[in-house]
Amino acid sequence: MNSERRNPILFSALAVAAIAMAAPLLWTLLLSLKPNAELLRSTQTALSPPYTGVNYSDILGHSAVFRWLLNSAIVSLAVTLGVLALSSLAGYGFARLRFPGRDAIFIVVLLGLSIPEQSVIIARHQMFSVLHLHNTYAGLILPGLAAPFGVFLMTQYFRAMPRELEEAAWLDGASRFKTFWRILLPLSLPAQATLGIFTFLSTWNEYWWPLISATNSDMYTLTVGVASSQMNFAQTNGLGFLMAQAVFASGPILIVYVIFQRYLVAGVSRAAA
Amino acid sequence: MMGSRQTWLTVLSALLLFAAGCSREAGGPVQITLQRFFGACDAQYGSSTDVESAEGECGIITTLINRFNARNPDVHVRVNIVYWPGYDQLSAALAAGDPPDLVTMHQSVISDYSQRKLIVPLDAQLRAAGIDPAAFTRAAREGVTRAGHIYALPFDNWAPLWHINLNLFRQAGLLRDGMPILPHSPEELLQQARQFTRATGKPYLVQSMVNEPYAYARNLFTLLMQQDSHFFVDPRRIELETPQARNVLQLFRQIYAEGLTTRNQDYTAATSAFLNGQGGVYLVGTWMIGTYEDASRQPGSPLAGGYTVVPFPQLYPGRDVTYADGHSWVVPRKPRSAREMAGIVRVLQFLWDNDFEWSRTGHLPASEAVIRSERWRALPHRATVAKLVDTAAPLPPGVQRQFLIQQILSEEMESAITGQKPIDAALADAQRRVNDLLFNLL
Repeated sequence: MNSERRNPILFSALAVAAIAMAAPLLWTLLLSLKPNAELLRSTQTALSPPYTGVNYSDILGHSAVFRWLLNSAIVSLAVTLGVLALSSLAGYGFARLRFPGRDAIFIVVLLGLSIPEQSVIIARHQMFSVLHLHNTYAGLILPGLAAPFGVFLMTQYFRAMPRELEEAAWLDGASRFKTFWRILLPLSLPAQATLGIFTFLSTWNEYWWPLISATNSDMYTLTVGVASSQMNFAQTNGLGFLMAQAVFASGPILIVYVIFQRYLVAGVSRAAA
Repeated sequence: MMGSRQTWLTVLSALLLFAAGCSREAGGPVQITLQRFFGACDAQYGSSTDVESAEGECGIITTLINRFNARNPDVHVRVNIVYWPGYDQLSAALAAGDPPDLVTMHQSVISDYSQRKLIVPLDAQLRAAGIDPAAFTRAAREGVTRAGHIYALPFDNWAPLWHINLNLFRQAGLLRDGMPILPHSPEELLQQARQFTRATGKPYLVQSMVNEPYAYARNLFTLLMQQDSHFFVDPRRIELETPQARNVLQLFRQIYAEGLTTRNQDYTAATSAFLNGQGGVYLVGTWMIGTYEDASRQPGSPLAGGYTVVPFPQLYPGRDVTYADGHSWVVPRKPRSAREMAGIVRVLQFLWDNDFEWSRTGHLPASEAVIRSERWRALPHRATVAKLVDTAAPLPPGVQRQFLIQQILSEEMESAITGQKPIDAALADAQRRVNDLLFNLL
């Protein structure tokens, strides 16, 4: 920071970039604090008071919104925990265990990264129909557990750990699982945090699969629920409400981001490295 | 051990009793799942049953369903609100074998589902509800009839209208006895538009022209129909390389080139532009009547005391007609008990009986009796648009994928009107793309 202050050009460039990035968010917030009818005439009024919380009270007045919040929280947490557990176990297996076909299976897992969700969505929808999994938590959670990126990340992380750590534990009589559980897993917490945050964020923001799997409004996640409560031509007749929905839906994400910001940044740096 | 077993038996019995109590067939109210769009407005209307005081699509449909549930203790309508238009969710629910019982569907979309037998014909159900299709308006009846069967209960019709700023028309000398002077030919349209722009300094037309998937196509349909062009030679083939289609595109191209229309506005900008007095005529549907009528009652508004709305004027000598679509209620196909079917019939009957209340949204009623009633005509501007009961017309009933067709046509029309593509090339491309789409239907 001190060096940036010493370099006014760099500081100015960073300030301009920060303003450019913050402006749409601030604009969204200001629009959300204005009545819809006023915004229909002109959105310029968002720049001046008076402001109102009516759009937020309209959101909170919807009887189902807390149910949708709960659904999103359950699904996002379950997927996050599931991905962490499965990716850690698989990553450890690929990094440390020797078994026939290991490399081939690892390549198959990595190929999963190159398959877009759209190409499997119909087959998956039909499979879940046969299994009667639509409109259930399982139907929303299970697809998210297939996380090739998580397996890849954890494999690379475990591979980078010194083998001497495990060997020392084995000399002390620890089993392979105990070594994994007590030694390697705690050491992988930074990677777990990164993977967990990214998984939580992407699951929370997921729209398409919940849209077609959770067709019963009791099972909507927040993204699907807030979209469903928009009136026709919401971008015109209900702009303030629409913006309030955007702010409301991103609130929990913002909280997660603020709390785990350093892990996110570290994760991005690690991925880049 | 014995005590433990007794506890388990008690818990099991309680669960079984609870499950029996929850059973749909055990004498409780029959559950009807209704999927609709129009948004959610619980905060404003919650459990209100005061339909007469409700405003807007969301308010009226919410209070209608609340009232139905309050008055029919043996039938409970459970509402699934979906993001407009909700067809992805409906298709997904049909694929999963668990569709809702009643669904809002655009009449232009019915063929997509009826031809695959995904919705049931309602002839018998409507008879059971005492609803005679002869009581539908002609546009509504045509909109829900496929292969001689009624596939939906029509709820309304809507059509592109001319929303007019009378204050600017007065300034332009285009008022006679307080009524707008409207064109009767493309030449008159251009002449009046030029006169308007000269006098006011503002464009005659306000149009949504950017990122606009439907409006161009609806104008095209209307003006082709007015020229008696049978552009769907059969439901799977469109014919657009015609002099009639060329006439329409040339007219709008001329309007654009001479600056007689707003430019570079999307739907939101155009809607706001008309409200702010930035043009004389806004080409948009029935649903904006309430918003602009409210503005006309506000002192200081550019529309204050100077707003009216009329059907699309007849610009060609063929016939007086306007393209129309509408909302309706369909019943997706799935096994149902007689009791459930009776519940659905009851809901349909209730919705039909309240067609007037729904028509307060601005949409045209589907009931001939309502549209001819003094009560409906007493609503703002309804008398001036009432002739749509005779002039509104949908596309031929067998045409599938009408939403997608409108999007293709709008893309090509936008290219031609804004000068990015020659008119003949745009029409050829539009025809080829639509016919490819229709040819490859399953």
